[in-house]
Amino acid sequence: MVPMSMIQDGAPPLTAAERFHDFLQRLVPYALVIPGLVFVLGVLGYAVAGGVVLSLNETDMFLNQTFVGLKNYIDIFKDPRFQSSLWKTIVFVVSSITLGIALSMMFALTLYHVGFGRRFFRGLSLVPYFVSGIATAVMFRFIFTTSGGFVNYVLGGLGLPTPSWLGDPVLAFIVAVLANCWFMVPFATLILLGGLQTIDRDIYDAATIDGASGAQTFRRITLPLIKPMMGVSLIWVSYISFSTFDIILALTAGGPLRATELVSVYMYQIAFLQLDFGQGSVLMVVLLTFNTVLSLVYLKIFVFGDRRYKAAR
Amino acid sequence: MTIISRTEPQPSAGVVEFIGSLRFRAGRFVLIGIPLVILVIWTTVPIVWAVLASLKEPLEIYQSNTLLPSNPSLDAYREVLSMPGFRGWLWNSVLVTVVATIVPLTISILAAYGFARYAFRFRHLLLLLYLVPRIIPRVSLIVPLNNLMTDLGLVNTYWVLFITYTASAIPLATWILVGFFGSIPKEIEESATIDGANMWNRLRRVMIPIAWPGVVTAGVLCIREAWNEFAFVLALVNETGMRTLPYQLYMLKDSMGVQDYAVYNAFTVLTVLPLLIVYLLLERRVVDSIVSGAVK
Repeated sequence: MVPMSMIQDGAPPLTAAERFHDFLQRLVPYALVIPGLVFVLGVLGYAVAGGVVLSLNETDMFLNQTFVGLKNYIDIFKDPRFQSSLWKTIVFVVSSITLGIALSMMFALTLYHVGFGRRFFRGLSLVPYFVSGIATAVMFRFIFTTSGGFVNYVLGGLGLPTPSWLGDPVLAFIVAVLANCWFMVPFATLILLGGLQTIDRDIYDAATIDGASGAQTFRRITLPLIKPMMGVSLIWVSYISFSTFDIILALTAGGPLRATELVSVYMYQIAFLQLDFGQGSVLMVVLLTFNTVLSLVYLKIFVFGDRRYKAAR
Repeated sequence: MTIISRTEPQPSAGVVEFIGSLRFRAGRFVLIGIPLVILVIWTTVPIVWAVLASLKEPLEIYQSNTLLPSNPSLDAYREVLSMPGFRGWLWNSVLVTVVATIVPLTISILAAYGFARYAFRFRHLLLLLYLVPRIIPRVSLIVPLNNLMTDLGLVNTYWVLFITYTASAIPLATWILVGFFGSIPKEIEESATIDGANMWNRLRRVMIPIAWPGVVTAGVLCIREAWNEFAFVLALVNETGMRTLPYQLYMLKDSMGVQDYAVYNAFTVLTVLPLLIVYLLLERRVVDSIVSGAVK
């Protein structure tokens, strides 16, 4: 006779071994995911949490810690050198984003429309992405060297003044922005190019028939349709600009006259040269907060605010 | 005469069209050609200038009226290669890059497979934990990491670089691979299951081969991260012999006299070249992955 329960369930009751096997099967995804998580949380997560703790403590030269609450924050925000570095960072980030996105958009449109050697130019455009920040800085130093630099060679040839680029605070700041853009534009360019390629050409044909000008087409059709990719590029360029450290350190080391001393550079100075881990960690929290808030704003506007994303939900 | 006046009438429609297309072409040439020239100059000048400077004679670099080396020589490269520490730094860079590519790639393949193919509790939360580190500036972590690694006694060891590089490469690689694995139709894998393949075999013989462009892209980006990394190695290593190439390139600034600018440039070129070769070999897959939106 077949027991009632079995008929109702339609399946034989599981044996202990089968239940164990079932249990193991359910553990499989966790087993796959956890090794990476150990690294991510153990190193990066720990560093963030540890940095917040450090920022609330005063660490003496024997690495003894005493809890001081927000003292480090108050001290650093009163520090004129910090205030100045924060302003420089904001100017640096805003000008890098503006120039970087403008160049990326121009290059993406060029690569989209170019009729010959498209693969070659696309491949070439990504090359700076593979040059390290330090190497970028060294190359830019030699391009902008006062005597023997490429830029002054060209300017001199045209009969124009040949300034001392890295000796002048404003010019050095501009060179730093340029070097930063050189390093970050390639990736943003290809992301935007990917966006342009997803647009159906029929839409452009329709716009041309309706008599739309090039500028109108770009503003009313191209830009709205590549909104998500614009968001991704913006996150990338502001992430890079906020965390620019190697380029500045090797290009100007924060000088001349601290003209290029961004928060990241000042953080390194405080933490590793003055050995004040508490205040250094405050700067870390500042950098993290700025970057996270900015990224979330972009995501909200460009990705989650996109009509297609809303429609998909 | 009459014949000529007869052949001189209004320009035919074909000519109008031809002139129109010429104007169109000229406009297109200006609109595309000029930005293209800017793109090429912008991209290549820093690298080409470094190569040219590395071939010049020491004093020639200072002369602002020379573009090409008058007497190109590879002496600077010879000098770099014979630097007492160069082989060591090169070896450090290669070793760290190999380990910090293979380990995170392996871990990321497993994790991405888990995320792409299984529904489980906390899946979204865990995926978010993998994603969030992508927006944390690396340089902001160096202070607490330095303290942690000092406590663990790992400062100035290869381990500290293996661990931190692996940790920072995993989020990017996992994110890329989740996309590639997720786009593979489940049916393909199911038919392999029916044929009796277990998870390892499905992953090894079905998923990885199909997602190979993604694996290559993730691999190249891991190589890039490790080869070019600077903030971590600066904060966690201070022995001369433990430096990687970017770190040593940075240190050259202080340790070199002005007359050695050709050597300085040659060193730069030598640190950039290996990664550019890797990129050029795999350029197609990397560019395609980024343009298709698989890397973000």
